Amino acid sequence: MTRTPRRRHVALALPSALLAAGCAAPSRGTGRTGDPIVLTLLSHYASGALKEALRGPVDEWNTTHDRVKVATKAVEFTDLLTTVMVRQAAGQGADLLHPYCLWNGQLVRAGVLRPAPAPHAAEIRRGYGAAAVGSASVDGTVYGYPTELQTYALYYNKRLLREAGVGGPPRTWRELEDTAYRTARRDRYGNTLVQGFGLSAFDDSTTVGQTLALLSTAGGRFVSPDGRRTDLDSAAGRAVFDLERRLVARGASDPGVNVYSAFASGQVAMVISAGWWTADLKSLMGRAYRDVGVVPVPLPEAGGERATLATGFMLGVNTAARHPREAWEFLRWLNTDKVRGTTRMSALQVSVGSLTGRADDMRTLLGAGADPNLRPFLDALGYAVPEPNMPGAQQAKSLLRKNIEALWTGRQSVDEALRTTRRQVDQEVARSW
Amino acid sequence: MNRRRFPWLSYLLVVTGAVLTVVPFADMVMTSFKGPAEAGTLPYRFLPRAFDLSNYRAAVHQLDLPVLFRNSVVATALITGSVLLTSSLAGYALAKLRFPGRDLVFRLVLSTMMFPPFLFFIPHFLILVHWPLAGGNDLLGRGGAGLTVSIVALAMPFLVSSFGIFLTRQFMISIPDEVLEAARIDGAGEFTVWWRIVVPQTRPVLLTLGLLTFVDAWNEYIWALLVSTADPDVMTLPVGIQLLQDYVDPTRTMPIVMAGLVLSTLPILTLFLLLQKHYIRGVMLSGLK
Amino acid sequence: MVNATLTPETTRRAAPGAPATGIHGRDRRGRRQAVVAYLFLAPALLFFAVFLVLPLGFAVLLSTSRWAGFDLGDIQPVGLDNFAALFADGSTFLTPVLTNTLLFALGTVALALAGSVLVATCIDNLRFQGLWRTLYFLPIVTTVVAVGNVWKYMYEPGGLVNGVLNALGFGSVAFLQDPDTALPSVVVVQAWASVGSAILVLTAGLKSIPETYYEAAALDGAGPGTVFLRITLPLLRPSLVFVCVTQFLTGLQSFALIIVMTKGGPGDATEVAALEMYRQAFSYGDWGTASAAAFVLFAVVLTVTLAQLWFFRRRGEDV
Repeated sequence: MTRTPRRRHVALALPSALLAAGCAAPSRGTGRTGDPIVLTLLSHYASGALKEALRGPVDEWNTTHDRVKVATKAVEFTDLLTTVMVRQAAGQGADLLHPYCLWNGQLVRAGVLRPAPAPHAAEIRRGYGAAAVGSASVDGTVYGYPTELQTYALYYNKRLLREAGVGGPPRTWRELEDTAYRTARRDRYGNTLVQGFGLSAFDDSTTVGQTLALLSTAGGRFVSPDGRRTDLDSAAGRAVFDLERRLVARGASDPGVNVYSAFASGQVAMVISAGWWTADLKSLMGRAYRDVGVVPVPLPEAGGERATLATGFMLGVNTAARHPREAWEFLRWLNTDKVRGTTRMSALQVSVGSLTGRADDMRTLLGAGADPNLRPFLDALGYAVPEPNMPGAQQAKSLLRKNIEALWTGRQSVDEALRTTRRQVDQEVARSW
Repeated sequence: MNRRRFPWLSYLLVVTGAVLTVVPFADMVMTSFKGPAEAGTLPYRFLPRAFDLSNYRAAVHQLDLPVLFRNSVVATALITGSVLLTSSLAGYALAKLRFPGRDLVFRLVLSTMMFPPFLFFIPHFLILVHWPLAGGNDLLGRGGAGLTVSIVALAMPFLVSSFGIFLTRQFMISIPDEVLEAARIDGAGEFTVWWRIVVPQTRPVLLTLGLLTFVDAWNEYIWALLVSTADPDVMTLPVGIQLLQDYVDPTRTMPIVMAGLVLSTLPILTLFLLLQKHYIRGVMLSGLK
Repeated sequence: MVNATLTPETTRRAAPGAPATGIHGRDRRGRRQAVVAYLFLAPALLFFAVFLVLPLGFAVLLSTSRWAGFDLGDIQPVGLDNFAALFADGSTFLTPVLTNTLLFALGTVALALAGSVLVATCIDNLRFQGLWRTLYFLPIVTTVVAVGNVWKYMYEPGGLVNGVLNALGFGSVAFLQDPDTALPSVVVVQAWASVGSAILVLTAGLKSIPETYYEAAALDGAGPGTVFLRITLPLLRPSLVFVCVTQFLTGLQSFALIIVMTKGGPGDATEVAALEMYRQAFSYGDWGTASAAAFVLFAVVLTVTLAQLWFFRRRGEDV
């Protein structure tokens, strides 16, 4: 008789232990005194200066507001999209999301993002430049406050240019190529010592970002305005691919090298990259940073119309948020209330070497004593084109990136790369709508 | 004897192969002592300039190693304990008890091994998310996070092993029925027979199975990566270390990553070297790996 | 795979029930034993129901649906659209993803098989066999994160492999950055990591070859090459088949090493099917396509396994 309970004990112990461990649901607060509403905020401000910069305004909010508190969570940028999607699927989505605007189409289609309420949408349209508003919108609806806005320009190492006998930074594609060939150097084993122009397969920013920046100077577009097919297979697209292919083929670029560390250690003469990089370079290079200069992306012909790419992030509210009104209120406080003449977000972004889409704030903050290398990025706010963000935009970008890398490494000719990109992106984008 | 005519050639091959096998481990240890300016610079140097422990301190600090260790230990212990328990229970029933449907059940157990794990990846995650009455879910499994926010999520899909059941059954068949019958005549129930006679008699195979399961569970990466993405509080050692590796500047973090890897592989390597006879027998029995 | 080699005595040896203690006694005991047996099996059966049968059904449902992944009520059936999309013009699933998967598995099997046959036969002639086996086995008990990162680091321009190449006077190779070398480089690592278990299985196979065969061959004056080809290889066949089939299976479905080392890049040079499935589901929220991809890969795995078994069985009858 005594055996029976023991046996049952074995059979039941496992499932009940498992259930007990998983039962506690996270508490979100009621907003009454002593039990504040806690809004969670998920961003990629996970380490270093970015993390510190975000802590400032969040701490300020938390000390001045009793009813609503904000708790930040962060992951590295490479894990951000997967984290947003997985946590949303797991019912764990943060109330406030800070997505890369490229994903807005996907997140809106999946029902993750809540449209901005009318007063907020009006505020956003009024306060930000066209590239920023475009990035934060899908099909004409605004989904959040634009935060960090990145434009692309040409970084160059003054010392390497000088040593190669080049007078100044390039203004046209022809000058860009000449400078690249003159500055490149290799050792006897074939290890790259200095790349003339950094074409790095290391991440999206240096592969797709700079390709699209060059494309826009040539008057080209990656995706049609309705977001349903690619326009890359054009004369402008061909010109950009030709240029990049030549730079690799003639040894001025080495796509295998991580251009971020290589440029910082003086092994790359020129790179097209975004404005956020200035802050990283400053901390990585120390005194050597005075060798770094920035100019607008060179144009195909002298005297053409300036153009470049703009990418950005925004702060939006999760459809699953329990307290959307409080969430939008926090975003308004963070992004539009002015302290000492600028918004908290503008001050935050500038403190880490980035820009926002609020040109007036930027002029105030960068007025005196700021890093002159940020100026070209600020000027670009006026003419930059936002990255397309239709559903499937991330997949389209990954496909483009793969084809660019295949082009650089000689696996595909320019023709093949253009054609394959068009077939693959068209198929992917059509499926995503 | 003919095939022993050229042992020097055999030695050469085997030793070369062994060196190729061990060198990456040596490089891992050496790199873990290298300073930030040493790793990844040209020309390559095998030995570090000084045996500096700062990478280990950084690994413990930056990786929050104690928490990662705890999560790995808990998940591994849950999996190993559960696999041993369920395998020996089910193995005993299939080997020594007579009941209708036994062949069918055994064939079912065997057939489950046919399905590759990746097939279950997505549904397992969704089942844990929609687990009824857990993590804020209602009876229909909606509204909350389900089991994904708890440490048991790391272990859930691995709690029962078809191979474990198969292995213990094959082993238990050889226990003489007379022994069991004698115990039954003495008035012992099946549970007592299982616990007092069968489990002690099958200790070697349970040790082997436990080791195989332990090593697999400790080293598991893909599932733990997914669960940690949903809830970083349950991150395990491999996931945490890989995360550090993903930081932007590899030349600075690589030595720290290596230090973390040394610390995380030490326990498992020690265990393996101590009990390798049992482990190797298990692999030979299974050949599954 | 297990069925093929490890079930010589599955259901043949029936476990005897209770000895006769009278008709009624046996009946009652039989029933009671059945209840006890199912109680013992309950945890396992419950697990299979929840983590095997239910997921399979769910996977089938998802692969024929379109779903954002957040609300179970939103699942829309779309028939075979997801499968059609995988093979549509412009889809990367067939080439390069599936071809990469097959190349990865094929390369791993070839390397691991060649290496393990060589080493296993050599070890068999040596002393300290336990020591050698242990050394070759170290990678197996090491987490894929360690294996992947150590090799990734060794492949870098300032890493060990290029250091050795440079010291020997060769130029550097951008192993993981060059799409032509990336897949082979990863294959080498996967083979390096799995050769230990293959050696073990083959060693066991070698031990079971009766010494008398070799003695007879020695009397006939056969050289070592002849002995290897005529005696060792044919008698090792079951072990070889086993290694081949299991390694192929592992190769077709493993992507942890690739996530750690290349994340599918550069370009899609190391993109494999299981990784594609993972990304479609968890990054892009396209659960339908991901589930469809999983079933296509499952079909490939089944086909390849059955084809191998069929091939080896046919060959076996010829010998």
